[in-house]
Amino acid sequence: MVSYLRTRLLGMVLTVLIVLVFVFFIARLAPGDPAELLLGPDASAADAEALRERMGLNLPVPVQFLSFLGQLLRGDLGTSIFYRQPVLEVMAARAEPTILLTLMSLAIAVTIALPIGIYGAYRRGGAFDQGAVAVAMLAAALPNFWVGLLLQKYLGTDLGWFPVSGYGNPDASIWERVQHLVLPSIALGFAQSAIILRFSRASMLDVLGDDYIRTARSKGISERRVVLRHALRNALIPIVTVIGLSFALLISGAVITERVFNLPGVGSLIVGAVLRRDYPLIQAALIVVAALYILVNFLIDMIYLAIDPRVKY
Amino acid sequence: MRKLVLLLATASSLCLSGGAFAAGTMNVALIGEVDTLDPMISTKAVVNMVTQHFYETLYALDESWEPQPLLAAGPPEYSNGDKTIRIPLRTGIKFHDGSDMTSADVVDSLNRWLEVSPRAKEFKPLVKTITADGDDAIVIELTDSYAPLLSLLSFPSAPPVVVPQEIISADQLTATVGTGPYTLAEYKPDQYMRATRFDGYQSPEGAPSFLAGERQQNLDEIRFIPVPDANTRMEGLASGQFDYADGIQIENYDRLLESDATEPVLMEDAFAPNFALNHKAGLMTNPDLRKAVQYALAPEDMLLAAVGNDVFFEADGALYPKGHVWHNEAGVEEYNVNDPARAKQHLDAGGYDGTPLRILTSHQYEFHFKMAEVAKFYLENAGFKVELVVVDWATLGEKRNDPKEWDIYITHSPFLPDPAINQLLSADSNIGWSDPEKDAALKELATETDLEARKEIFAHIQELYFRDVPYIKVGNISELRGSRKGVTGVPLGPWMVFWNAKLPD
Repeated sequence: MVSYLRTRLLGMVLTVLIVLVFVFFIARLAPGDPAELLLGPDASAADAEALRERMGLNLPVPVQFLSFLGQLLRGDLGTSIFYRQPVLEVMAARAEPTILLTLMSLAIAVTIALPIGIYGAYRRGGAFDQGAVAVAMLAAALPNFWVGLLLQKYLGTDLGWFPVSGYGNPDASIWERVQHLVLPSIALGFAQSAIILRFSRASMLDVLGDDYIRTARSKGISERRVVLRHALRNALIPIVTVIGLSFALLISGAVITERVFNLPGVGSLIVGAVLRRDYPLIQAALIVVAALYILVNFLIDMIYLAIDPRVKY
Repeated sequence: MRKLVLLLATASSLCLSGGAFAAGTMNVALIGEVDTLDPMISTKAVVNMVTQHFYETLYALDESWEPQPLLAAGPPEYSNGDKTIRIPLRTGIKFHDGSDMTSADVVDSLNRWLEVSPRAKEFKPLVKTITADGDDAIVIELTDSYAPLLSLLSFPSAPPVVVPQEIISADQLTATVGTGPYTLAEYKPDQYMRATRFDGYQSPEGAPSFLAGERQQNLDEIRFIPVPDANTRMEGLASGQFDYADGIQIENYDRLLESDATEPVLMEDAFAPNFALNHKAGLMTNPDLRKAVQYALAPEDMLLAAVGNDVFFEADGALYPKGHVWHNEAGVEEYNVNDPARAKQHLDAGGYDGTPLRILTSHQYEFHFKMAEVAKFYLENAGFKVELVVVDWATLGEKRNDPKEWDIYITHSPFLPDPAINQLLSADSNIGWSDPEKDAALKELATETDLEARKEIFAHIQELYFRDVPYIKVGNISELRGSRKGVTGVPLGPWMVFWNAKLPD
């Protein structure tokens, strides 16, 4: 186990380093730079060059890379060109809405998908199962920005139940902020529920056909116990994987949903940084997201240990 | 009829008197983030619109686009053949940090502006010195007279704002400290910017007129909220989250008009989309091929595709819209020709060999892309091979600086207060329109001080513009904004300003 953990951690660090090199150079390969964007549409090439020089963006890329590595060794990921703050501070300020949105939409998705998936598998081919499959297909097919627009129009503007955009006023309480997250969470959770529903249904179907389930039933164990104790536990491994990956995906930014609902989260931060060519922020954000993915994958593997006694490292 | 209703609606929003009003906080939805709080370096409308609440210039434009004193105490005093300009300064003006504005601050601010502003490029070579003349005036010494000086000093795009010497740096301003009616209280990037009333503010006198006149500071606080998605701005306005929203999609006009809670605000002839033609390299260096492009295009159809409703555009080829002091009709018969046979004649005369015509555009401004698609159809109809190069705006910004990368790029611009500061006409622009007759006329336009004579010079430049086709102004586009019903005191103009705004009670 210790040897496994050591190898795994080394692999994780190496992966982050490879991401770091790729991100640095790919960001600079894209044409355009912050000076052009700061100056606006009517500025000339000479204006841009002058500002580039004042901002220190005209240094050769290898020199910039060495300087970046030096900063990194000192634990400094740099300062955002546009926000003019350390990039980690900028990202930390965006973490709250993204984490809350992720948790709320996952909670909605799991609450909808898991029971329906399990019951649909149990009643395979019945009206409920067919209805569930149809709804899952619909949820997967509808773009979540479109669902978001409908929610804004009907639940936000027409009925006035929830705010349609933003993350609350400067003095908003956490409760008010959560209210701002209801509509985007539904939009995201609805789409995620389709994936989780299909996986839980398929996984349960696999397990319910196994010999040990037949054995359990022949021993006279109640159906409820067979499904929830014997089948569900074994069906959970692929479901946990999907939920874990959904979590990683959402925490790295539900880009379109954040844009539609004007949420100041990590996804919109990354898109904004790319459009503005805010190199330090692009680098830091993508490194953090890559690290999160690696960490979530690692945690999923650790969860397998807890839920499946056959798994050993 | 629809236009009349619309004008009435906008006029009612402009009315400054009558009704009950509350101070309070106004929430304004912007089309995007304010990328920098240093207005001197940026020509972006959203930057200059927001920062005008914090910073002020020596002069400000009134509703006739005439410069009026703002931090200046009066009009400039010209001497030495208009080459020496003395500008008297108002006294008792305080910065947001409590310090007094001095003539030294003004001198240092103007010198920095000359160094960093894209708008000062043409003016800078003419400046010999800028010096303080005692505590309450400055003196600008020029090598030659410069007629657009006042327009330039009052134009709120990369403007010469006055800041304390302490915050001036080579890169960007180190703090947001100006003399404006509102101070920056809090800034959470991508969430909101809180501008609160500046208690030490000294307002200029006179009836409010666009950016000039009294600044009443009616609101306690203005919250600028970046909302990049147009639909979200509309829904936020309709649901009462925002009191005012910029950049509303035209298709929402009826919804704004019919709602009990909102009203449309239309700014007619807000800006002009332009197709810039590359005079430095490639196909468009051939005058016949440029004429072929000019004759092939159908600006009216391009505008219809871009805007979607003919109430919101004017197919007008003149470089300034009707009613503007600089409007003239010289050469406009060359506009909106849309004659493929005539275009083909010029293609043949120019020896066109089928090389693709590269049109550089971006989805960042969707109407650019829509116009490009229609232009492609008409150009192909006339015999061109066309390649649309669709990139993001940052990439476009870089590519257009390399003449080898494009033949036409699409941009847009507000109508500048003086044509002498229109950089697209300059030989130094990325278009590179160089012609001795035009260059001489532009120089004359910059130095001549008599308005009627200047109008004639500009009419001649417009004729040359139609002859040489440095760019094609596609038409005039109106801009739709949305307001909560009962909001008043927001003047119509390319930049929304709220220092005289009032909320309904």
